[in-house]
Amino acid sequence: MQDKITKILKAIADPTRREIFHALVVAATALPITQISGQFHMSRQGVTKHIKTLEEAGLVSITSQGRERYCTADAKPLQEVNKWMKFYEQFWGDAFGNLEDYLQGTS
Amino acid sequence: MKDSISKEQLLLHPIGKVWNAITQAEEISTWFIKADFKAQKGYQYTFTSDGENGCTTISGEIKQADPYTLEYTWIVAETKVETTVKWSLKETEEGTILSLEHSGISNYEADTAVQMFTSFNGGWDNCISGLTEYLKETVHAG
Repeated sequence: MQDKITKILKAIADPTRREIFHALVVAATALPITQISGQFHMSRQGVTKHIKTLEEAGLVSITSQGRERYCTADAKPLQEVNKWMKFYEQFWGDAFGNLEDYLQGTS
Repeated sequence: MKDSISKEQLLLHPIGKVWNAITQAEEISTWFIKADFKAQKGYQYTFTSDGENGCTTISGEIKQADPYTLEYTWIVAETKVETTVKWSLKETEEGTILSLEHSGISNYEADTAVQMFTSFNGGWDNCISGLTEYLKETVHAG
């Protein structure tokens, strides 16, 4: 169940989570939760909750260093959703093209 | 991120002709994929790609088939995941607007996507290009 695309979509459905994820992607390095909560003017608990949802979707990984926890973004799960969309996008695009040719040929 | 794909296209053909092309087994088999298909609510249809290169089977149930809306579930054999394909036609002065919506794509597991891609990437392409070739021949023959 960990890999369900639904989890990924749910994780990025929330605007705050998207912003947090975006900040982590832009940072391109591990950010401590303390820094994220400062940046977003949110409580540590609030941020931790969002991070957990992102972690469950595989979009963020958390590592502990001493008393601080660091978060790193991983965009790979998003690419997997994207792959499906792209696949069907092309599939139906081709089908439409074929249908048009077919109708043309039978007129 | 959306969980569906939508396509719309104007076809310069009368609505009845387009409707037949997407609902008649023989016609579907010609331009799209080999079909055991009846445009009747409840009918269990099967699409089979008969290529030699690992093409696949798609099956599902007709949910709606009233001119000019056709809706069926879409289950790719290897995935067991149910998605929905809906075709709607609208008559215009120039011809017919064909709309397609394929929804429920978020039901696929990310893992399956990767698997399916590695095993079917070539397969689908071969199916499609085979069909394109066939259609070209038919057009030229006509």
